[in-house]
Amino acid sequence: MIDAPLRIAGVEPGRVVVPRDRTELAAAVRDAAAANARFAFVGGGTELALGNAPRALDVAFRTTALDRVVEYAAEDQTITVEAGITFAELDRILGEHQQMLPIDVPDRARSTVGGAIATNAYGALRHRYGTLKDLIVGVELVRPDGVVAHGGGKVVKNVAGFDLPKLAVGSLGTLAGIMTATLRVFPIPEVTRTVRYSGTHPAFVATLEARQLDAQSIVWYAEEDADGDGTYHGTIVTFAGSRVGTDAQIDRLRSIAAELDPGEELHDVGTDELVYYANLETMVRSGGDWRLRSVRLPETIAETPSFERAFATGAIAYVAYPTIGTALVAIDGGEPPHVETMRGDGGASAVVIHAMPERYRATTDAWGPPPPAFAVMRELKARFDPRGLCNPGRFIGGL
Amino acid sequence: MSAVAIPPPTIPSSPELRARFAAIVGENNTITEGTELRTYECDGLLGFRVRPAVVVLPASTAEVAACMRLGAELGMPIVPRGAGTGLSGGSLPIGGGLVIGLSRMKTILAIDYANRTVRVQPGVINLDITRAIADAGYYYAPDPSSQSVCTIGGNVAENSGGAHCLKYGFTVNHVLGLTMVLPNGEIVTMGSQTGEADALGYDLTALVVGSEGMTGVVTEVLVRILRVPEVTRTLFATFPSTDEAGDAVSRIIGSGIVPAAIEMCDQLAIEAIVKATHVDWPLDVGALLLMDVDGSAAEAQSLAERAEAHLRAAGAIEVRAPRDLAERQLAWKGRKAAFAAMGRISPNYHVQDGVIPRKDIAPVLREIAQLGRENGLRIANVFHAGDGNLHPLVLYDARIAGQEHLAEKVAGEILRICLRYGGSVTGEHGVGHDKACYLGEQFTADDLATMALVRETFDPERRCNPDKMFPTPRLCGDKPGAYVAHATEISGEAGRG
Repeated sequence: MIDAPLRIAGVEPGRVVVPRDRTELAAAVRDAAAANARFAFVGGGTELALGNAPRALDVAFRTTALDRVVEYAAEDQTITVEAGITFAELDRILGEHQQMLPIDVPDRARSTVGGAIATNAYGALRHRYGTLKDLIVGVELVRPDGVVAHGGGKVVKNVAGFDLPKLAVGSLGTLAGIMTATLRVFPIPEVTRTVRYSGTHPAFVATLEARQLDAQSIVWYAEEDADGDGTYHGTIVTFAGSRVGTDAQIDRLRSIAAELDPGEELHDVGTDELVYYANLETMVRSGGDWRLRSVRLPETIAETPSFERAFATGAIAYVAYPTIGTALVAIDGGEPPHVETMRGDGGASAVVIHAMPERYRATTDAWGPPPPAFAVMRELKARFDPRGLCNPGRFIGGL
Repeated sequence: MSAVAIPPPTIPSSPELRARFAAIVGENNTITEGTELRTYECDGLLGFRVRPAVVVLPASTAEVAACMRLGAELGMPIVPRGAGTGLSGGSLPIGGGLVIGLSRMKTILAIDYANRTVRVQPGVINLDITRAIADAGYYYAPDPSSQSVCTIGGNVAENSGGAHCLKYGFTVNHVLGLTMVLPNGEIVTMGSQTGEADALGYDLTALVVGSEGMTGVVTEVLVRILRVPEVTRTLFATFPSTDEAGDAVSRIIGSGIVPAAIEMCDQLAIEAIVKATHVDWPLDVGALLLMDVDGSAAEAQSLAERAEAHLRAAGAIEVRAPRDLAERQLAWKGRKAAFAAMGRISPNYHVQDGVIPRKDIAPVLREIAQLGRENGLRIANVFHAGDGNLHPLVLYDARIAGQEHLAEKVAGEILRICLRYGGSVTGEHGVGHDKACYLGEQFTADDLATMALVRETFDPERRCNPDKMFPTPRLCGDKPGAYVAHATEISGEAGRG
C-alpha cells in the first residue's frame, strides 16, 4: 500500500500500520502505548515535512483506510467524517448537495480531513470562512493511552464541556489522534467570479475594506521574475454569492481601481488563468526545497523585507493573504533563506518552515522561539501524553 | 422560592482574612459582610445562594494576581465574576471561598482599526465595545441578549452566543488572545498578541474561552471586530403553528441561505412579549420568525427575496419587513426581552438551553409540548431557531405545592429529549452549577476524564470554580434552579437568551 518509505520530518518510522477501522486504530494505539512505542498519526502525507524531527518513531498509524462518512446531515449543514477521508472525496459527496468544506489544502486528492485539522491547514478562503477552528464542532480522539474520547458534538452550537475539537486543530497530533470530526459545511455559492488587478496602490486592500467589498478571498501573488525583486505583481479578488450581488461587487471594485490607479484595469480571470493561479498556490504549499509561512499583522503585510531577501535566494512562488496577514513562499535550491533574520525583523510574529532540505534539519528550528504561555502547553502535553509517546518533539519547543 | 441551604464555610470570614485581601485591593474593594455581600451570593441562577468568605474587586492584573496568590496560600476556592448575569450558576460562590469580581476592570485599552482588533479589560460591558467603534463603522459580533449589562470576561468564561452567532460565530470565534492569571497567581498571555493570524503552539485561548471560570481569571481580552454589514434586511413572519415555522427554518437553511439570525417565538412567548413590550405582534398565530439577512445591498436584497419565498412556501400567514430602523429595533427588543416578559404570564419559570439539529425543530417542539400536557405545565418557546438552540421556558407557580419540583423534572426531561436527538444540554448559557448533573448524560466518563486533563493543566488543585460543570455525586444531589428575572431585565435595561 505504501510505495515510498514514509519520512516524518526526516524520521522514518520503524513500521507503518494502516488500521482498517477506528476500533483497530484505538487498539493499535493501546498496544503501542503498552509497549512504550513512540508513534505518529499520518493522513495523506502532504505535510510530512512540517515541523522538527521527532525524537523517535517506532510506528506510524496511517489513517487512509478510515475514510467513511459517519453522518452527513445536509439539511443541517454538518458532516461527520473519519479522519482519513480525502478532500477530493469529501468534495464529491458534499457536491451532490451543492455544499462544500471551505478549506484550502495542498493537494485535494491526497490531503485528508484529519491531516488538515492536525496542521490547521488554510488558504485564501480563510478571508470569508475562517479556519477549521471555526468549522469544527465535534471530534472523536484516541488518546496516547488508547482511550477514545469525544468533545463537542454534532450540533453547530454547543458550549457543553471543554473544547476538545478546537484543541485538536493545529496541535499536529502531539496530544491525541483524530478519529472523526464533525464539521460545518456551506452552500456552494450560486456564482463565483475572480478578477485580477495589477495596480500597485498601497491602499488598495484597505480601500476594499473601507468600501465594504464583501470578497470571498483576496490574494497577492508574485513569481520569480527577471529582477528577482520579489515585489507583489498583483491582486486576485474572488467574489461569490448571487449573480446580481457579485456583479454589483465587481462594478464597485472596478470604480475603486480606477480611482486609485488611473489607467489600470480589472481583468476577468478566465478558466485557464484560474488554473495558472491555482498552480501558484499549489506551488507555495507543496513545491520548492523550502516552504515558509510568515505571519504578520495585516497592516504590515505589505512590508516584507525578509521575503524580498528570500527572493534573492531563489523563490519560485510567492503568495500572501493580505487581510489575514500571512505570506507563503516556496524556494528552490541556492542558499538557505535567512529564517533567523526574518524571525528577528520585528514585523513577523512567526515564521514557520513547512519544508526544508534534510541536511538543514539538525541546525534549523522549524518553529522558532516558543510562545509566552509555553509552560502551560508543556503541562498540557504532559497530562495528555505523560510518557512522551505521541509524535514526540515534532511540534514547537520540543512538544 | 426556596433557596438551597448554605453549606458551612470552609474558611470563616475573619478580620485577619479581610485585612490580608484589603491590603491588596483596598478596604473599599473588600467585601465580607452585610447587604453588599448578599449581592454576590448568587448570579442569574437565582434559585441558589451561597455566602463566600470574601469578595474582592481588584483594579489591575497585578492585583488579581496578588489575590490569586493569597487565595492559593490559604487554599481558598476561587470563583471569578463579571456582571453576574449568567444563567447556569457559573458565578455561584463556594461557601467560605473567594469571589473575584472584575467590575472595576472596565477599560477599553486599545482600538486598532487597521488590524480590526480591540483590547479590553474583562469588566467591559459587551455592548460598550460596539458603542466605542460604531462611529467608525465597526461592531463586536457576539450579542447575547444581556449584552447591555453582561461583561466580556463573563462572555469569555461562558463562550457566550446570541442571536447573530448563526452567521458570525460565538465568543470563541472572536477572541484572538488573552492575558490571564492562573490559579497559582502566575500571569500568562496566550493566543494572538496584537492581532496576528496564527499564534504558535496549542490553542490555549480556545480552551480558556468557555471554561466557565475553571482555568483562572482572565484580565485582558483581545477581540476581533467586524465591519457593520452594508445592509441588513429584517423579515418578520407568522405561522399557524411551530410546525410550519420549523419547516420554514429548515427550508431556508437547507436552501443555502446563511441568515445573520433566525429567531422563533411560539404562541405563549408571543403573548408574554406583547404584554410586556409594545410590539404589535398578532396574538392569534401559532408561531413567528424574526430573521435578519445581511451583506452588500444587492446580496442582502437577493437573500431577502429568496428567504421570503421560503417563508411563504412553508405556509406563512403574513410576511412583513419593518418599515424603518426604529421598527426593526423594536422587534429585536421584543425578542431580547422575552425571558423577562414571562413574568406577565407566569409567576415562575425555568429556562433551558438545549440544542438540537436544526432540521428537527418541529418534532422536538411537539415532544416538548406533549411533555407539558402530560405534566399539566405550560411551556413557552423563544429561541435561536437557525442554530437549533432552544430556550424552553417551563412555567409554574411555586405557591402550588409540588409544582416547582415538577417543573424542574420537566426541564430536565427536555434536556434528555435534546440529547436523544443528538444535541447538547447547553448552547450558550453554560453548564455551571445548573446542568452539571446532565453533562454525564451527554458525555462518557472517558470524555469527561479527558476534559479534566485540560482543567488540571491550568488548575491541578481544582480550586478554580470547583463543583461546576463536572458532575459529582455530592453536586448531583442538588436540584436544578428556577429562573427569576435579573433586576436589569425587569427594569427593561437588558434581556436574555
